[in-house]
Formats: sequence, structure tokens, C-alpha cells
Amino acid sequence: MLVSLKWLREFTPYEGEVQKLGDRLTMLGLELEEIRDPFAGLADIVVGHVVECGRHPEADKLSVCRVDVGDEVLDIVCGAPNVAQGQKVAVAKVGTTLPGGLKLKKAKLRGKPSHGMILSEREMELSDDHEGILVLPEDSRPGQRFVDVFDLDRQVLDIDITPNRADCLSHLGVAREAALAFNLPLTLPELRLEEGGEPHRPYAKIVIDDPELCPMYSARYLRGAKIGPSPAWLRYRLHAVGVRPISNLVDVTNYILMELGQPLHAFDWDLMRGDQIRVAPASQGMTMTTLDGQERNLLSSDLLIWDGERPVALAGVMGGLDTEINDASTNVLLEGAVFRPGTIRKTARRLALHSESSYRFERGVDQNNTPYATARAAQLMAELSGAQVLPHVSLAEPCPWQERHHVFRRSRLNSLIGIDFAPEFCEQVLTGMGCAVDKAADDQWNVTSPSHRLDLEREADLFEEVTRVHGMDRIPERLPRISKAADARITRDTEYGLNRTLKNWARGAGLREAINYSFVGQADLDLLGLPEQGRVLVANPLSEEQNVLRTALAPGLLNCLRNNVTQGNHRLRLFELARTFVVDPQSDTETREAGRLGMLVYGGRFAEDWPWQQEDADYLDMKGLVEHLLDHFKLGRAEFEAVSGHCFLEPCVRVRLAGEQLGIIGMVRPEIADTYHARKDVWLAELDSDLLSRLLSHREVLFADLPKLPPVRRDVTLQAPRDLSVGAVLNAVQADRPKLLESVALVAVYVPDEQGESRNLSFRMTYRHATKTLKDKEVDKVHTRLVQQLTEKLPVSV
Amino acid sequence: MTKELQSFIEGLESLARDCEPRAGQARSLKELEELRIEFLGRKGRLAAIMTDLRALSNEDKPVAGKKANEVKTLLTDRLDARQSELERAEASEELSRFDPTLPGRKPWAGSLHPVTLVMDEICDVFTSLGFEVVSGPEVENDWYNFEALNMPPDHPARDMQDTLYISDKILLRTHTSSLQIRTMIDRKPPVAVVAPGRVYRRDSDLTHTPMFHQIEGFLADKNVSMADLRGTLASFVRQLFGPDVRVRFRPSFFPFTEPSAEVDISCFNCGGKGEKDGATCRVCKGTGWVEILGCGMTDPNVYKAIGYDPEEVQGFAFGLGVERVAMLKYGIGDLRMFFENDVRFLEQF
Repeated sequence: MLVSLKWLREFTPYEGEVQKLGDRLTMLGLELEEIRDPFAGLADIVVGHVVECGRHPEADKLSVCRVDVGDEVLDIVCGAPNVAQGQKVAVAKVGTTLPGGLKLKKAKLRGKPSHGMILSEREMELSDDHEGILVLPEDSRPGQRFVDVFDLDRQVLDIDITPNRADCLSHLGVAREAALAFNLPLTLPELRLEEGGEPHRPYAKIVIDDPELCPMYSARYLRGAKIGPSPAWLRYRLHAVGVRPISNLVDVTNYILMELGQPLHAFDWDLMRGDQIRVAPASQGMTMTTLDGQERNLLSSDLLIWDGERPVALAGVMGGLDTEINDASTNVLLEGAVFRPGTIRKTARRLALHSESSYRFERGVDQNNTPYATARAAQLMAELSGAQVLPHVSLAEPCPWQERHHVFRRSRLNSLIGIDFAPEFCEQVLTGMGCAVDKAADDQWNVTSPSHRLDLEREADLFEEVTRVHGMDRIPERLPRISKAADARITRDTEYGLNRTLKNWARGAGLREAINYSFVGQADLDLLGLPEQGRVLVANPLSEEQNVLRTALAPGLLNCLRNNVTQGNHRLRLFELARTFVVDPQSDTETREAGRLGMLVYGGRFAEDWPWQQEDADYLDMKGLVEHLLDHFKLGRAEFEAVSGHCFLEPCVRVRLAGEQLGIIGMVRPEIADTYHARKDVWLAELDSDLLSRLLSHREVLFADLPKLPPVRRDVTLQAPRDLSVGAVLNAVQADRPKLLESVALVAVYVPDEQGESRNLSFRMTYRHATKTLKDKEVDKVHTRLVQQLTEKLPVSV
Repeated sequence: MTKELQSFIEGLESLARDCEPRAGQARSLKELEELRIEFLGRKGRLAAIMTDLRALSNEDKPVAGKKANEVKTLLTDRLDARQSELERAEASEELSRFDPTLPGRKPWAGSLHPVTLVMDEICDVFTSLGFEVVSGPEVENDWYNFEALNMPPDHPARDMQDTLYISDKILLRTHTSSLQIRTMIDRKPPVAVVAPGRVYRRDSDLTHTPMFHQIEGFLADKNVSMADLRGTLASFVRQLFGPDVRVRFRPSFFPFTEPSAEVDISCFNCGGKGEKDGATCRVCKGTGWVEILGCGMTDPNVYKAIGYDPEEVQGFAFGLGVERVAMLKYGIGDLRMFFENDVRFLEQF
């Protein structure tokens, strides 16, 4: 909301600095964004007196002028048709920069020198008028600054108004706050309405179909208006608060809107058919053309203003084209009404038609002030257009403003805010903002809130008023004693705590945390061949790239890969701990959210080359991370099993832990990796972090006594076919595990011939007895038997 | 003394005399080893002399033997001493070639995202004050996200947050305030909770990303006042930004709190002066204050929605944007950096 200090002073005699006012308003909850001078761009423009004006010898449409700008007389060639000798005009001298950014230079126009420019309002960005140059009042002095010719609104506060403070969407409203803050009187401009004359047709009868949607509707009538531009003071004042001047009558409705917060609409009375105005919803599927020339498709939830035959306005949002005020209009029907905020909001949102008018109706206007605002508008219109205000108001007010009564208990206020407020102060604040206070009992006042404060609905709202006027910044600091429920959860065991534990592991394991958007594009999921079923789609996405919630972390991590490769980062070890989403009709959010730990490894195995060898990461690096994770948290051994036919990973390995599927590890298929600009193998893992968290929160660590007796170790090298997995051998060992065998470990893999069919696998068996020292002979016997069993069960030889 | 014995002893003594300077002249361990072989080796000069021992008379033999042993010990000691010297020299030479500036064989360094770091730091402060940490769904239904928070349909306050919808009633939560409802609805006061998490808005430009992180906190108990809120937040802000930071409460509006306040902290870049090194402070734009969070006393309608008696229960709520705090804390200028995950960004934290 743009508020002119000068305009505000017409309501309350605040004589202080503009900055001080802004600061005080900020601390009252009306946050000052900035203070601006809307005419700052015109500071260098001066008044010129056209002393001579003749036709350009070479060009019909140009005039050659001599213009007195106070300290010199300039030759200026001007193209405007209305320039004439004797005029006072606005001049930009050489070196002046116009608001549009143009910097004036010396020029020659068809051979004639020109040392400046005579300006139109459009060139000064004051209006769209480019019919001709702006002619200034006779009494302007040559050389005087343009901005000093008129008494302009040079100090404008840009204030951020919160949605609850509809009452502050006007100069009157902000002035009321200023008066309250500085303890100043507030006065409304006196109404000097002169009514008279006879109507040339019957006044309209107002019919309101549903009083819920329109509690009051009134119309005033004017005859004999002459449409034309508004006077300078009005045009420039509107310009100062960001409103484009159009013509006198329309400008008045906008002026009243900015001044009093009441949106008004002026119809061309002669273009309205029948003698009735009806406020009624649209019928589903009908259309009407609004004054911006757009044909609007309407729903039954849209509220319309109808004349005797047809819709003439989208109530509270925009007028209709058919009955718009135009240059030929003379008789005017002026609407002053109040509509149900929700209805206006719905229509404005659906049609994306957000106007100053709908903005205020959506938040609520002061119904009790509507007659005054409408009358003041009629008065101004009559003054500016020569019209006569007819002595009649058509009015329907099926729902007059209902006074709101609230209980106000100071003891509650004191307890809520933590201050002992003086009763005198409370009363002063409440009456200051327009409440009537009835001190029925010491701690139980009856307070009636004013009609302009629609936001005061309950006692709590009054508490806020007293607090903000007192100054929230003056509330003391105290620390609450937080009594915790005995069964409150320990942070470590919450979802947050467990995730934090996992993240800290990942950091320790040399992974960097990435955070990606939870949404991706359907195309991203399609590219990976992820199932279409169960996707949670965003109904109103910002873009195609963000139209579905991700069903896997892979698309996000692969996007990170692309970003990094593009930036020349070729070694990546990333992780993300986040949720994936699939449709779940059973859930109260229709969605199942599953926690996932995603990891991506790409490029060099080691962070730096020297002193490591230059190698690229492969499956064992990714698997190692998963094993490290399980070791770190003592979650036991997982099973790793190759699976075929995964949609975007090959090879793909399923990881099972404690009988449940923990996740998958795999290499992104090269053709998919290519689309992410990968130049090397991309290894991904995606684990079920909910399962990890569950296991983590239930794990028990029990100490096992350290062995007291020495182990005996035996190595064996098995010649095995290339396709026999190490896991198969280890499983076979476990299946026939002798009691004395403590552990078995792979110690070497040797492929004697790359083309050959076999490889040598060396294992180290550790034997130990809990209570006695083993003899070689005993161990040999057990070991030989184990090896023999292996050679019998598996296609291996020693 | 027999002549033979005398000659034997002289032989030994000349051996000792000969060895002494040559041991000193040995320049390397290898030279020294050669010397050792020459004098003490199996076919060395001492051994050669010893062959003459057999020719001596039985009376002379003990004397000669004793002398031979003495010389042997002398030679051995001398050579050993020289060996130690040479070894020390060699070690010190090796030490002089040791390059401590070679890059170490370091394991991969990992890192946590700045959002996580800030979130953890904030959660730590509040858990130390007695708050509990809760989580909840990111896809929410309208009731938890809006209605129960005193934002009925068509309420203008809904305009404050552009919402991403899944369907009419299902949406991506626009704030972590929904956790207030989810937490309180199945508990009885006292409840003191912070709720960190991802939130979503239909908004994307230089200063907005469609996803960001918030931390919601609230306390519902008896007789909790705005002074308690102020104290809690002041303590929080000081723990996060340092003991000298000042806190300012400004009235504002949130549908789910009444009264509501916006909290500013004195700008830590310029110390609240509005300018630094003669120029307008870039962090607070000259105002001396930086907006950091929103808060207020929980609106009675929120308590009503979840079945608490607003005459009995009193409490506060606050919410803050994690990215904003991270930007202030680390001096990150561009919000979008957070979600590009460029490792050159990530590795700085």
C-alpha cells in the first residue's frame, strides 16, 4: 500500500518526519518497506516560457521555438501540434535524463538546432497522454523546477499490510493508526454534497437475491457530466500512489478507493437497460465481456450485477464493457456496495483478475462508511465534471452491520503477555481505535469494536491490539519452565535423530550430502523406466520438470551428477537422505512416504590422485560403503544377490538384511548415464532408511569376552570355475561349519589366465577352541575334512 | 718371553695400530664392512695371525690367547663405534631428505549440507531448552495444513502462501506448522516440540525456491506468556548468533497466532549500525535489523480445532526458514545454490 504523507495529513495533523512515522508504523505492525519520491525522476525538469514559436522551414509538423528557461533562452524544435507562443511548458535541458532512461543531447532536426525538449506527460511517465505537450499554469516561473510548480505528493511510504488489516488499505486507515500512535485527532473531510435536479428516467430498484453474498448495495445518480481528463492535482496524486489516471469520473472512483478504502464503480446510466439493478450469481457456463475487452466464462459461484436485461459487472471485480463510462457518457450511476469477501476472492482468483477493488472486497470493507464514501465520490465527480448529483439514493441493505461485542479480561491479557497492564492504558488503546468500552466489572469489560475493524472478532484480537500499541518490543524476556511428559521421546530415537545418525555416518564415510527437490518431471521418471503406477502428481506444478513427486532418489542424484559434470567436477561421492512418494489410498494424505538413503559414486576412487593410484570407482566401492554402514552400526551381514532386468541398473544387486529387502546397488545403464553427461561408470545405491532406522533403534550391543587362547590359522586355495561366486563358497563353508572354525575370510583372488575358465580363490580359516589350546593334529583333521567337503559339494579342487 | 710370543704379540699390536686410522677413514658402512672382513673375517688378518698360535709353546699360549682376545675386542669396539657414527650420519642424511610437505594419504572427506548443519544446530539449542523433535508427512491434507491452523477455505491468509496441490484436499505442506496439529492432537499438554522439515510453495524466483526448509517450534502448557516466548527466542538467537545480538519484536500477522510478531535481530554484520566500512551494510540494507523468524501466542482457534480448551491451555509457536539462517550465517548470497549440489559448494561446509 502506497501512502502519501501529504494525503495522510488531510486526516490527521502529523507534523513529524516521514521516517519517524514509518518506523512507528512498523512497530505497530504496518511494516514500512521503503520511502520513495514518485517524482524523483523529474527533479531536473524546469519550467520554460515559449517566447517564440514558428513553423520549421523544412518540416510541416515541426515547430521551431525559443524557450526561456530562466537563466538562458534555448532553441528547441518541437513536434507537438499544440505548442504555441506564450505557453508555460516543461523542459528537459541537454544533459537531463528522462524517467524512461533517455539522456538528452544536443540535436539538429532537419537542419535546425535543438537544445532540449518540451515534454508531454507521457515522456515524464505521468500518464499515457501523448496528444501533445503538457501546458503548465500561467503563473509558473521560467527556470522554476517542475516539481515545485504543483504541490506534489513527494513523500510516499510503501507499507506492507498484513491480510488481517483490511482497514489499513486506505489513507484513512493508515491515518487512523498514525493518530493512535501519536495521540492525534482524526478528522474526515467534510461532505459538501449539493443535490438537485430531476432524473430523466426512473431510478433503479435494487434487488439482492442472496443477502449473504451482498449485505448492502446502493446507487447514486449524476446528470450532465462532461468526461475529460482530471485536473493536475488529482492526476499527479493518483500517479504518486501508483494509480494510472484515466478520466475524471474513473479517477474519482480510484481516488476514493485509495482514500477511504471503498471500491466504487461508475456505470454509464444511459447504457443500462431497464430500471432495475439485480445482484445475483451467474448461471453456469454463461459469458460476459469485462471492460478490458476479455470475454469471461462464468460459473454459478461468480456474483454478477445485472441491469434489467443482462449482466453489467462482475461484482466487486471488474465492470462490464457494455456499460463502461466512455468519452460520450453524460449520466452516471455510481455503485457503492459491499460483497461477501469469499465470493469475490474465488472469482478473482479463478479469473486471475486481481484488481485494487477485488483486493479490498476480498478482505472486507467498512459497510458503515460506504454511504459517506459514495457521497464523497459523487461530490468530487460533480466538482470535476460539472455534473449534478440527483437527490436520491437507491439502497438495499438486507444485512446491516451487526455490532460486535467482546468480553475483555485484563487478567487473561496479563497472563498471556506476561505484563501487568494498567487498566487506564487498556481503555485508552481500545477507545483510541474506536471501540466502545463498558467497564461492567473490574476484570470483565464489555467492548464493542468499530465497523472498520472487521478483524476484531474475539477477545484475543483485543489483546493483540493492547499489546502492539504498548510495544511488543517492550515485553520482558523470561524463560519458561518446560515440564516434559514422562514418556517424551529421546531425540536420538526420533525420526530426526535416527536420520541425523545416518547422515553423520555418511559424512564420516566420505560422502557429501546433497539435497534435491522432492519433485521431478514425469520425463525424469520415464527415462529411468520407473513404473507409472502409483506416482503422486502435482496438480498445479510450476513447470514440467517439477510435476511429480519422486518415487526414487535416483533422478535427483543423477541431476546432481549432471550439474557437477557440467561444472567440471569429475569425482563424486554423494548421498541424500530423503523421502520418496507413492499413492496410498489408505493414508489420510493419500500418499505413502518412504525414507531412502541414496548414494552415488562416480569417477576417481580416491579423492586425490597422489599418492593413490588413479583408478575409477566400481562395484566394490559402492558395496564397501553399504558394508561399512552395516558394520558401523553393527547391523549384521547383508546378502548381496545379482538380479536381472532392473529398469535402469545393470548390473543390479539386491541387498537383503535380516530377512528384509534393504535396497539395491547397481551401475546406471550407460545409455541412461549418457543423458546425464556421465563419462564414466555411475554407481548408485538406494537403501530403505526406514528399515535402517528401525534396526538401528532396536539394535542391542552386547560385549563378548575376548578369546583367551590363541587361534590356529590354515589357508587353502581352491581352483574354481569363473562363474562360481565367492559367496557360494562362503555359504558352503557356513553350511558345514565345524565347531572349531571361528571365521573364514577371502585373502586372495588370482586369475591365472584371463581367457581361462577358472580362478584361484584363497581363503584363510581361523580355528579356535574356547577353553583349550588346539594341537596342530586336531586342526589339520578338521581343516582337511572341511576342504574335502567343499571339493565334494562344489566344482572346486585344491 | 719367547721370541715367537713376542713376534705374535707384535703382529697383533700392529694389527690394532693399522686398524685404528683406517676405521676412522671409512666413509660408508660398506667400506666399514669391507674393513671388518679384512681384519676380523674368517680369512682376515686376525685369523691369519691366529694360525700362528698353534706354533707357540703351551706356556705362551694363554698369554697369546689373552692378548689376541684383547685385540679382537679392541678392533670390534673400534669398528662398532665407527659403524654407529656412520649409521647416525646416514640416518641424519635420510632425515634431511624427508619431505613433510608431501600430500598425505587422506581418506575421502564427507560433508553435511549447510541446511542440515543449521537445522541440527537449531534443534540442539531447542532440545537443550527441553524441546522434543518431531517429524511428519510432507504431503498433507488441507485440514492439518490450513483449516486446523485457523485458515478456513477462501481465507485471504491463504494468499500468503502459494500452494502446490496434489488434489483438492491434498497438498504439499506449505509450512511445518502442520506438525503443531499432528503433534498436539494425540497428546495432552504440556507439549514442547520443534519440527524441522521440507516445505513447499508455488514460488520460484531469485529469492524463492519451490522447496525449502523450516523449523516450527511450539509450547503448549498452562500460563505460558509472550514474555516466555521472547525469552526463549532471545536465548535461541544468542546461542545461534552470539551473545551480543539484540532481538526486536514487531507486530505482524499469522492466522494461527494471536498476537503475532515478526522477530528481527540486530545485524551481526554491521553490529546494528546499518553501515560498515563507510558503506551501507549489505546484510541489513542499512536498517540495522535482520528479519529472522515469525512467532506468536497460539490462536485459541487452533486449540479449539484439536480439542484443547483455550481457557486452560496457553502457549506459543514460532517458525523460521532454515535457508535464510544459513544464508545469514555463512554469507551465501544466492538461494538457488542450495539445491544445485555443486560439490564446490558442498565441500565448503
